[in-house]
Amino acid sequence: MKHVYKNIAFAGTLVASLLFVGCAGTPDTNPMVQQAQTNYQQTESDTLVAKHAPVALKEAKEAVTQAQSALKSGKDEAVVNHKAYIAQQRIKIAEQTALLNAAQDEVERAETERQKVLIQARQAEAEAAERRAEMAQEEAEQKKAEAEAAKEAAMAAQQRAEELAERVNELEAELTERGLVLTLGDVLFDVDEATLKPGGQRAVTELTGFLREYPERSVLIEGHTDNTGSDSYNQGLSEDRANTVRQALIANGIAPERIRSVGLGEQYPVASNNTSGGRQQNRRVEVIISDESGEIPDRQ
Amino acid sequence: MDIILNKWSDMSRFGLMICLVLAMGACATTNVPAPDTSEAESMIKQAEEAGAQEYAPLELREAREKVEQAKSLVEQEENAKAMRLTKEASVDAELAMVKARSAKAQEAVKQLKETIKTLKEEIERNQQKQGGSQ
Repeated sequence: MKHVYKNIAFAGTLVASLLFVGCAGTPDTNPMVQQAQTNYQQTESDTLVAKHAPVALKEAKEAVTQAQSALKSGKDEAVVNHKAYIAQQRIKIAEQTALLNAAQDEVERAETERQKVLIQARQAEAEAAERRAEMAQEEAEQKKAEAEAAKEAAMAAQQRAEELAERVNELEAELTERGLVLTLGDVLFDVDEATLKPGGQRAVTELTGFLREYPERSVLIEGHTDNTGSDSYNQGLSEDRANTVRQALIANGIAPERIRSVGLGEQYPVASNNTSGGRQQNRRVEVIISDESGEIPDRQ
Repeated sequence: MDIILNKWSDMSRFGLMICLVLAMGACATTNVPAPDTSEAESMIKQAEEAGAQEYAPLELREAREKVEQAKSLVEQEENAKAMRLTKEASVDAELAMVKARSAKAQEAVKQLKETIKTLKEEIERNQQKQGGSQ
């Protein structure tokens, strides 16, 4: 009797086992579960995910474990595949969460940097604007200074011109084609002599003052005679008189290189030699005053 | 003896029945309640709000389709399958949402970096002008 019951119990267990196997009927490997395991291992070793998505990674691990245990306990393939699918998606979620969190950290960091750089940019812009304003002001001031300098120069030139005119007037010089010409008449010399009378000395003193005031100017002293007497005498006298004036100027401290003297005899009369008045006019010394560059045009 | 033997017999019969019921239960596809798709649907909505239509269209479509499938499976009383699809739709939608948020955050990073780059260039230009004027 005892055996009979044992057999019944055994048969029951066997039937149950057969039923169980019959409905599970799955191998202990599943490509989707395997894939999930592989993917999980890769994701787990990704430091970015470990750092930025630890919770999502843990959830993915649990999902993988569930898929594995579903496979081990011989669950229906559809169930195993479903669990594996969930695991796969959880792994992807972990990856994307890591990227999201890393990006959000980066946004925060970059936003801070942006603020900093923005302030720097505004400062740089303000500094640049300030420099531009400074430069503009400097330029304006420079222009103003230049204008003032030009105005002053113009005024100074005007003043010099006025002074020159005044001095020329005092010198009793004449403005001719050759420039300023001061004529020392015959009466300022001793008759037939090259010595200056006191009136001639005064004229030389005036000329000295003028030359001191206008150091850039030089003079050409020309001696002239009338046509009475021999040519050589007249030439000698004209040279001597011109030289007398030159020496007088040198004696007054005018540099010799600024003074040239020449005797031209009777070649250049200014009046007729037929009358005594005309001859007197022709006996003269002309002092030609150079322009500001020191040039004296040649006699035409 | 008989009493004892009878007891054994009762226990064996009982055990056998338990075994059968358990085995049947393991196989059964019925007796599973119909899934509630509202959680999945709310997740889909969140994904849409996160911009998944643009940044994770495949995942979003998958989620939507699975919810629809789950609903029609419920009508066919395929509740277990419907339950699985609902759960899948939920993770699909979650993935779509995270993916969209991640893409947007990365775009924001890119934009910020470009802004920073532009600003730095601007600073450099201003400083070069300074160098030039000195």
